[in-house]
Amino acid sequence: MSKGKKAKSTTPPAIAKGGKVPKTSIPQVEKNQDTSIDDGSKFVAKKYSLVNVWIISNFLKILLSIGYHSTDFEVHRNWLAITYNLPINQWYTDETSPWTLDYPPCFAYFEWILSHLVPPFVKRDGCLDLVQQGDYGLPTIFYQRFTVLVSEMVLLFALQWYINTCKSHSESRRGYVIASSLILSPGLLIIDHIHFQYNGMMYGILVLVINSARLKKYLMCGFWFSLLLCFKHIYLYLAPAVFVFLLRDYCLNFKSKSWNPFKLINWVNSIKLGLVVILTFGISFSPFIYYNQIPQLLERLFPFSRGLTHAYWAPNFWAIYSFFDRLLIQIYKNIPLSRIPLYKIFKFDPLLLLDPKFLNTSTRGIVGDTEFLVLPTITPKLTFFLTLFYQVMCLIPLFIQPTFDKFMGAMSLCGYASFLFGWHVHEKAILLVIFPITFIIVKDKRLLPAFNLLVSCGYVSLFPLIFTSSEWLIKVLYTFLWYVIYSFNFRNVTRIPKHLANSNNEFILDRFINLYILGILAILLVISLIDLFEHKFEFLKKLQFLKFIIISVYCGIGIISSWNGFSWLYFVNDSIFKDD
Amino acid sequence: MAKKKVSTKAGSTTKKPNKLSVFHTAPIFDLLHNFQRAPDQWAARYILIITAMIIRSAVGLGSFSGFQEKPINGDFEAQRHWMEITINLPIDQWYFYDLQYWGLDYPPLTAFHSYIFGQLGSLINSDWFKLDASRGLESVDIKNYMRFTSLISELIIFSPALLGLITFMGKKLNISRIDQIIITCIIMCQPSLILIDHGHFQFNSVMLGLFLFSLLDLLKGSYILASIWFMSSIFFKQMALYYAPFIFFFILAKLFNNYYDFNNKKYSNLITKFNFTKLISIGLTILITVFTFLSPFIFCNWNDVYKNLNQILIRVFPFNRGLFEDKVANFWCTTNLLIKYKTIFTNDQLTKISLLLTLISILPPNLMIFYKHIFNSKFSKTSTNKSKYLSLVYGFAASSWGFYLFSFQVHEKTVLVPLIPSTLLFCLNDDYYISIIQWINNMATFSLFPLLKRDGLALQYWVLLIMINWLIGGFKLKSNLLFQRNSWFWNIIFTLSYLAVIGFHAIDLTLPPPDYLPDLWVILNTTISFGCFSLFYLWLLFEIYSL
Repeated sequence: MSKGKKAKSTTPPAIAKGGKVPKTSIPQVEKNQDTSIDDGSKFVAKKYSLVNVWIISNFLKILLSIGYHSTDFEVHRNWLAITYNLPINQWYTDETSPWTLDYPPCFAYFEWILSHLVPPFVKRDGCLDLVQQGDYGLPTIFYQRFTVLVSEMVLLFALQWYINTCKSHSESRRGYVIASSLILSPGLLIIDHIHFQYNGMMYGILVLVINSARLKKYLMCGFWFSLLLCFKHIYLYLAPAVFVFLLRDYCLNFKSKSWNPFKLINWVNSIKLGLVVILTFGISFSPFIYYNQIPQLLERLFPFSRGLTHAYWAPNFWAIYSFFDRLLIQIYKNIPLSRIPLYKIFKFDPLLLLDPKFLNTSTRGIVGDTEFLVLPTITPKLTFFLTLFYQVMCLIPLFIQPTFDKFMGAMSLCGYASFLFGWHVHEKAILLVIFPITFIIVKDKRLLPAFNLLVSCGYVSLFPLIFTSSEWLIKVLYTFLWYVIYSFNFRNVTRIPKHLANSNNEFILDRFINLYILGILAILLVISLIDLFEHKFEFLKKLQFLKFIIISVYCGIGIISSWNGFSWLYFVNDSIFKDD
Repeated sequence: MAKKKVSTKAGSTTKKPNKLSVFHTAPIFDLLHNFQRAPDQWAARYILIITAMIIRSAVGLGSFSGFQEKPINGDFEAQRHWMEITINLPIDQWYFYDLQYWGLDYPPLTAFHSYIFGQLGSLINSDWFKLDASRGLESVDIKNYMRFTSLISELIIFSPALLGLITFMGKKLNISRIDQIIITCIIMCQPSLILIDHGHFQFNSVMLGLFLFSLLDLLKGSYILASIWFMSSIFFKQMALYYAPFIFFFILAKLFNNYYDFNNKKYSNLITKFNFTKLISIGLTILITVFTFLSPFIFCNWNDVYKNLNQILIRVFPFNRGLFEDKVANFWCTTNLLIKYKTIFTNDQLTKISLLLTLISILPPNLMIFYKHIFNSKFSKTSTNKSKYLSLVYGFAASSWGFYLFSFQVHEKTVLVPLIPSTLLFCLNDDYYISIIQWINNMATFSLFPLLKRDGLALQYWVLLIMINWLIGGFKLKSNLLFQRNSWFWNIIFTLSYLAVIGFHAIDLTLPPPDYLPDLWVILNTTISFGCFSLFYLWLLFEIYSL
């Protein structure tokens, strides 16, 4: 890639445009070009390659492998044990360990393959023991960490495919920035390589979906997305966008002038796509259909008994809602005058407020239900309808005009809606927004502020996942470094629309957004100081939960603002989302 | 529009016509070339430093020297213990307190440094440095705090010194910006320093950083500042004395002036124009610096001034210890296989012999450079020849390798002292030199392996070693910078030594050493390293000769 750039820059026309180069330097430049050609390598043809970026990040990931890992590590180890030791009909019924298998079948097959590749010395270490609480050492850790690294190659190949299918030089340069930003994403580093999960592979498949859609390979798009759903069902959140896109662009046919509803549907395509999807699902679920395990499987996949918010509030709408509830409780308790109006408005049960059991529900640190004491309780139905409402809203423009950029916009907005309003959302789900949105922000400079706000708030909100002090500096520095490099690179490659090229008026809001992003540093400082001096001052220990409230409310506001900004552009500025 | 912008930007790259980087095929170039444009270069430096910090803290996740080895632990405990005694005891007891348990045996600046970080740490958690009660403390918190102190020390002292030095060398040796960035990156990522400071745990980067500042001022010609920096370096860690002979000869040569700087070429001018004022001012500077560093020990207790200072001297220079303790890749340890020195000579005789051999080994580089700086026109004031600047780096490297190979009481970690000036030779920015310097860089890291294995840092060793070689492009089949293009002699040496390294690791991994020779593999390691180090030392002599 370097050579490509160099070659471009050394051609005389480029110099002429630059207009600043003294003439004397030109011969020398040409000489350089000659020497480089002598080198024997093909100059212009060289492509942008992600391999180097991926390798360098792997060195860091290997160093991190001996550090902290969460219970998710034990979860995945247990799944290895389940798939290795049990016949397939018991996979979804086994309850030896509390960490039962709750991912769809393909992921179980994936674990089955991994479990059969376990080398003997790792097996002796207790990697495959089906027990209630695993007892394992370094070999198991190295093995499982290694599988994450290797499975991440799916993402590498998918992104490289994306770059390779770019049509022009400037497009592939933009593609390279996008792809490298995703493969180096601090989110993946924190979630996969410290916390422990296999998101790299999952998002790799998502990128395959996205790139197939971009290349108008609809059947492939349908296949990859069905496969993705068979790996991890969280991607159902993005399904409406994929469904509408494929339906409108592939299965429906608006070109024929007749109003015959029968002709409106492109039957051949519909049947082809339908077959692909049904076959994918059918094959992956078939053993469980055969053993009649589907009810158990579905029960595992969709546990509706969980609470509205996760133990650490994901920075979404409900975090802010919960925050107001806490605030009102304190107001109610401490300001007697406020009691009657508060009671009149919200009509809650004041007796509950006196019960310390309820007051402390969210401070327990384990997964627990948040009870709202002042504000009305939120039901799963409500969250479901809100999510659906916002998703449908963003699907309408996609249905009218099914371009790739609209598709990406709609997919991001589906991610936003489910992240902001969904039931029991994990902070990790922010990647559902970040991945698709990254593919369109280079289209227009006006999209950048929303993106900056989203990634900074989204990634910082992942910090509480890794609470150990050893990794503190790494996660903070890495995220900071990533943000600096990519805010800088995205600014360089993003297109600036003609009418905005010379005016700064449009970008005044950027200043405020940058200020808000800087504010995150202050928030981090406060939180870290609380952490640091906990041993010394007793009262800081009581602020434990406050730390998480601060971070999720601050990031929540940021993410909601970025959602607003992005939605505004999506619905109002149609020109951004038109294909070239 | 966008396209046009891109092309104009690309056009500005060619503003400074320079030849294609030596590293252009290496992955490091691929990763860093985005910052080639002049306006982006400020960013590259910060990115480099942050990356270096991330790598260091990731290495810091690993174990440290003496982890869970009660009751005496290792260097980590020593450093922590020094923080403990400096903040809890009055200054006149620092060098006397319970010498059997990691008594303070580094010079005063280390003590002050420990004091500052001890106080800072006590602010956070007072249990970390409770006198006596905190001995052997190994909790995660204290580990992280200590890691943080070494990181911040390096960030404040070593990194700016290195950046400044490379920028200066870049100007004088005409290194393109991108190459400066790459060279800085390679030197910052050298495995030895990272592994010892942030894995094993020590504060070498402070001493080395102070030395680099001193080197920078020597290059700039401000000898007074240079001597202050250098005295600070010695007063942080006595190991910096390895550099002392060369700095002495160099400044002396500069006081004589170059023969070609005189208007009338007469040899008597050398004597008559000798710069006595400068000599006196440098001497005074050194005295004042020493006095300043020692003043807390002098003023704290008037009655025992002599006793206090003498104790510092005894602690800092342990002449009564043996010729060598652990297995080190130097002359004594290696030839000891054949000649059992300890049975032939007394300790006192050995000290003298080693002193003599050290002197013999350091005299040639020093005298050659001394002579050249006076009688060679390349080194005159008006000359812009590269040799003028490089001679310093060569001189420091050669004379400190001399010390490493022949002086007594050398530790494995001491290899950092000659290694830093040696890696600065990357500034030569030529594939012939890069392969040699990277070879010695690798061999030095290799010589640390027994120590690191004992510390439980084998994973970090492998990752860093592979990373640096990969960055330079060592795993490429075509235009591999680890090997020479033309010189078959070096290629044979490289091949043999890399094969030896691989062979050693294969043996070490698969076979346990025989019971009656438990150190056999370690000796194998030191012998391989010693061969390479001596060859490199001879090469440096040759290079200095042909400057």
